[in-house]
Amino acid sequence: MDDVAGRARLAAWIAQAAGTTSVAIDRLERMSGGAVQENWALDLTLDGAPLALVLRTTAPGAVTESRTRADEWALLRAARSVGVSAPEPLWLCTDPAITGRAFLVMRRLAGIAAGHRLIRNPFIADDRTALVAELGRQLARIHRITPDSHAAAPLGFLGKASFEPASALVRSIRHYLDGRGDAHPALEWGLRWLDQRARPTAEPVLAHRDFRTGNYMVDETGLTGILDWEFAGWSDPHEDLGWFCAKCWRFGAAPEAGGMASRAAFYGGYEAESGRVVDPELVTYWEVMAHARWAAITLQQAERHLSGAQPSLELALTGRITDALELDILAMTGG
Amino acid sequence: MAQRPDAAELLAIARQTLLERLLPALPADQKFDGLMIANALAIAGREIRDQSASQGRVAARLAALYDEVMPSDAAEIAPMLARLEARLARDIRAGRFDGDAALRRTVFEHLWATAQDRVAISNPKALADEPAGDRS
Repeated sequence: MDDVAGRARLAAWIAQAAGTTSVAIDRLERMSGGAVQENWALDLTLDGAPLALVLRTTAPGAVTESRTRADEWALLRAARSVGVSAPEPLWLCTDPAITGRAFLVMRRLAGIAAGHRLIRNPFIADDRTALVAELGRQLARIHRITPDSHAAAPLGFLGKASFEPASALVRSIRHYLDGRGDAHPALEWGLRWLDQRARPTAEPVLAHRDFRTGNYMVDETGLTGILDWEFAGWSDPHEDLGWFCAKCWRFGAAPEAGGMASRAAFYGGYEAESGRVVDPELVTYWEVMAHARWAAITLQQAERHLSGAQPSLELALTGRITDALELDILAMTGG
Repeated sequence: MAQRPDAAELLAIARQTLLERLLPALPADQKFDGLMIANALAIAGREIRDQSASQGRVAARLAALYDEVMPSDAAEIAPMLARLEARLARDIRAGRFDGDAALRRTVFEHLWATAQDRVAISNPKALADEPAGDRS
């Protein structure tokens, strides 16, 4: 994609998608980001006007849990239709002949997302309580999308909603562990705890399932958008509340809601916008689940490196996070 | 028997040199790679230093739990460990330790000590976060 011929193909495809003949690619540069998704900064001059965009595609052989670009396209549109602040998707290309893989082009958001940078930056997000309350409100809007709602009509790829998402997730993590050649007794301890306490959900909702610090962008004006919709699925609303407040996603900072502000601020925004009451015990349950799920993902990411599929220092080091996650799980489930 | 500087010592000075001499000279978009390399070197150094003692303790606890004898041949420890960890994982999943409070405590203490030893190698800063004895 990054060579002369690749850029020419991309420009031609964009011209056709945008319904114009006047397209110039001024910049196409890989953005720093995760090891699995590829985000490219794409600056265009289209019909004489500058456009700051992101081209989003997937590294070869993604984590199997994540959605296709076409699915992500539908999720972004659905979220925006209920008032969620998310990047505006412009064009979707499912033809691998253009860049080698499917891709999605969306408007680029201002600000920064990187967890460590956000938490330590004193100028961005100076009113963290307001930011976290806003994130609670945004999450409530995402959860407005239920399987029978109008906004869910284009989301058939999510499958049928389970009323037992906790049990289903425990089963799926156990199934993953069974496919490996090694054993993880501490993780199994956490999964047993989760299995014994799993409750059905009264109401499955669209859960973002990676709603955390690191996946929303902030500039000096506040929240600019929520990113990384590739793991979305039907679940209990407390799954997202638990993921956001999980200790493993606070980037080492003390505030319990995303490492940024208090739970009260987060729950307050969520409750006011959703009309639901947050069940703190259920949040704790899903925080334990968050650690178990993230632990399974770290094992999976390490395996991508170890198998040779995607040699990467970042993936390799991710595999050494599992130990701390297991310690956290034990601390939360002991006795 | 090891030549000096040994593996752990080489890794330590390599890491120090990376941090002091290379990292300041790296362009901004490569600093993260530099920090990751420093982290990998630190983990490797701690693992070389601490791994076999820690593994011995895990093996001894599992042998005691499952009433087995620790092998006299050091080469047999790793396969025994793999076998007993797999057995422990299966037993936990099957709920075999749910009923007996004393046995449950023993298993938990084993898992806890094992996790602490491993985190001491992979990310010792994370140990500072865990309040001692807070298991609620």
